[in-house]
Amino acid sequence: MPKSVTVQLFVTCLIDTFFPEVGEAIVHVLNRAGVRVEFPAAQTCCGQPAFNAGLRSQARPLAEHTIQVFEKTAGDIIIPSGSCAAMFRSGYLELFKNDPHWLQRAQTLAGRVQEFTEYLVDVRGVLDLGSRWPGKLTYHPSCHLLRSLGVDRQPSLLLSCVKEAEVIELPERADCCGFGGVFSLEHPELSAEFLKRKIANLDKTASPTLVVCDAGCLMHIQGGLKRQRKDQQVVHIAQVLDSQ
Amino acid sequence: MSTKTFRARIRKSLADQNLQLSLDGNATRRRIGRLEAFSTVPDLQERRMRAHAIKADVVAHLEEYLRRFITQVTRNGIRVHRAADEKEAIHIFLEIAREHDARLVAKSKSMVSEEINFDHALEPAGLQVVETDLGEYIVQLRGERPSHIITPAVHLTRAQVGQLFHEKLGTPYTEDILEMVATARRVLRQVFLTADIGVSGVNFGVADTGTLCLVTNEGNGRMVTTLPPVHVALMGIERIIPTLDDLALFLSLLPRSATGQKLSAYTSLIHSPKRFEDVDGPQERHLIMVDNGRSVMRNSPLAESLYCIRCGACLNACPVFRSIGGHAYIGQDGSIAPYPGPIGAVVSPALFGCENFGQLAQASSLCGACQEACPVNINLPDLLLRVRAGENKNNKKQAEGVAVPAFLNLGLKAFRLAASTPFFFSTGQRLGGLLSRIYSPFKKYFPLPAWTGWGYSKDFPRLEISPFRARWNRIKQEVNPENLSIHPTENPGESASTLPPSLVTRFTDELSALGVKVYRLPEKKVKASLAKLLRERGIERVAVDDIGEKYVTSFKSVGVPDSTILAGVTGALMGIAESGSFVLIGGEAHPLSASLLPDIHIAILRETDLVPTLAEALARPEIRAASSAVIITGPSRTGDIEMTLSIGVHGPKEVHVFLIEDLE
Repeated sequence: MPKSVTVQLFVTCLIDTFFPEVGEAIVHVLNRAGVRVEFPAAQTCCGQPAFNAGLRSQARPLAEHTIQVFEKTAGDIIIPSGSCAAMFRSGYLELFKNDPHWLQRAQTLAGRVQEFTEYLVDVRGVLDLGSRWPGKLTYHPSCHLLRSLGVDRQPSLLLSCVKEAEVIELPERADCCGFGGVFSLEHPELSAEFLKRKIANLDKTASPTLVVCDAGCLMHIQGGLKRQRKDQQVVHIAQVLDSQ
Repeated sequence: MSTKTFRARIRKSLADQNLQLSLDGNATRRRIGRLEAFSTVPDLQERRMRAHAIKADVVAHLEEYLRRFITQVTRNGIRVHRAADEKEAIHIFLEIAREHDARLVAKSKSMVSEEINFDHALEPAGLQVVETDLGEYIVQLRGERPSHIITPAVHLTRAQVGQLFHEKLGTPYTEDILEMVATARRVLRQVFLTADIGVSGVNFGVADTGTLCLVTNEGNGRMVTTLPPVHVALMGIERIIPTLDDLALFLSLLPRSATGQKLSAYTSLIHSPKRFEDVDGPQERHLIMVDNGRSVMRNSPLAESLYCIRCGACLNACPVFRSIGGHAYIGQDGSIAPYPGPIGAVVSPALFGCENFGQLAQASSLCGACQEACPVNINLPDLLLRVRAGENKNNKKQAEGVAVPAFLNLGLKAFRLAASTPFFFSTGQRLGGLLSRIYSPFKKYFPLPAWTGWGYSKDFPRLEISPFRARWNRIKQEVNPENLSIHPTENPGESASTLPPSLVTRFTDELSALGVKVYRLPEKKVKASLAKLLRERGIERVAVDDIGEKYVTSFKSVGVPDSTILAGVTGALMGIAESGSFVLIGGEAHPLSASLLPDIHIAILRETDLVPTLAEALARPEIRAASSAVIITGPSRTGDIEMTLSIGVHGPKEVHVFLIEDLE
């Protein structure tokens, strides 16, 4: 019997607020991988939106709050979002670069952070979760997941083990969907252009389902599809892995 | 409002169908070209890290490297000038021009010259500056700035260039790119031959040897540094690398990143002006080293942007650049930033003021494609974030987020308050959930007005009345006791059982890929074979160096060839197998113009003179000792009009290599 493992879930403010069902799927999948999940209830947002906008004085209190909340816990911190995980791993180091006290705390915390698929594949060594998804799937690698964390093999491996799923390669897969946090509000024309290209590439795959590992891309691309009255569904990878 | 101007420019670019086609073509071709070129470099990531470390060391100890470099360059006989800013640089140049009573200046591409407004600044002094890079020439005729670091006229279609040539040069309208290239060749050849001063940039300055390395494809870089009596090189002070070995590393990265080539057609290595025994070359060489804010920036949080080698790969990878092109990168005052793209969105505010150019850093989704493409692994997303946070070259922190629109600023502050305690946060969630449920009772996604930004192109999801934190306690966890763990199988490494091809095979394959005709033959057959080739082409007069002289039986000319001479026959110091290049050195009985001015260049070299790599070639003492050397990789070429490859812009249109077989 493997000894039971407990992890801390940082669910991210987007999943918490807009897509709680994704959070539930994440817990189920982790349970199936033999992992017990704890949810520190005092968590809110990691501070990334303000940090990315350059408003570091606004980002800082949220980062400090997050660090304090998770310092009180033990074990790996699982983050089902490439960009939030990147915020913990590298954003905080930049944010606190001139403050040795907080920098050290941020570094310690960063060492505990695992992105969801990275944790399943690299830490737990799990590929096949007994998931089943009849039909076509295509995968969009989120920017920070792919380039900041270097996580790409892991979600692909997980999807390749999903029964009855036909995984199709998305053309120009690594191109940004145009979300970029506040970027999508501040430069709507550019954001719209990226989104248009992403959806055109999705159309080329003829896949009814687009899989992502980040709720930011999810709400952005799904919002674009809804506006264009298209039927494709964007799902978080946890939802695919949770389906049987 | 200013941001409106920037946004207006963005909208204009997006609505311009010609521009969109050009930019799509650029992005697609350059990205594929880059990937293919690096497919033969298995240790690319290690090289990027090494290059990063070298530039970090140079920038951290810049004064020390500058001292070493300037000492060497001066010892080599080049006059070095240091310019603190734009004004000083122009003043120094005007002094040189006055000394030589110069009127006409032939100029090859230099980004630092763009930065100091070189062309315009010289006009009042009665100097005519002619840009000789085809793309630069086109934008100069249009009175524009370049829209890309590497491909200045990337925003134009062939029809626009055809029309421009028709209007400005009086040639009949054409959409035939080769015809346009021929026109430019004809017009600019006169400029090269009659210019009083040749001006170039510098891609790399080597501290150990004082080498000025210049990389070009069309041959104009060689022309302006070889033909006019005076050569003036402009160089940003950060463009130093320590050794020739480092140069080999950077040359393995720059052309691949910029144009998808293993090496550019011409890599010039310049050490000194014409020496007494040299056949050609300028009597005088000057180097103007431009600071223009760099030493200050070096000690700032934006210092890493000084590692840039100006390859343009980040522009090609960037989805923002792909959408708007270089001319849309403007400051608050409406002026076009000298440096566009992701690197420009850092360097432009860093060097020329965040007040004016800080807004450029806002136009990024921080996707990181730029850093991924950067051959020096510059962390551009972090630098963009620093510009946004008000960090600048003066180390005097500005107000953060200056370029963030007021409504967003307010929104983020409100969000910060709400997220600062779990109670406020969950109250906010529930309130939002309730309101959005009232606003959109039936659908998860609902439209928002366009002014919100989001509503411009997408619908917004409802907040949930019962967010995850409210559901948490209801989730029943059933932890699987079974061990699902399977260790992922690592990809088995490619078994490298095939023998590497021989040097000769590699060399001739690479040459063939470049469109170079190779003749592999024993020495005794060279004369006859060469005579046959010249006869077939109806060529009676050829330019030669001392090697060529031994093999050519027809009329020979030693010295700078005139326009009646259609072929040059020269030896080569050595061949480089990995890139199909060969090396020529200037000097006694070695006119470099013999391989530059004629339409056809024929190089003769021995199999025994092949080396596997560029690094080994650069280690040869002859290169270091020559006043000037050039590494030639295929015929003169350009992709400046619609990215279409055209051969024979300024240099030879045809290159032939006679490879003398090694006797057992």
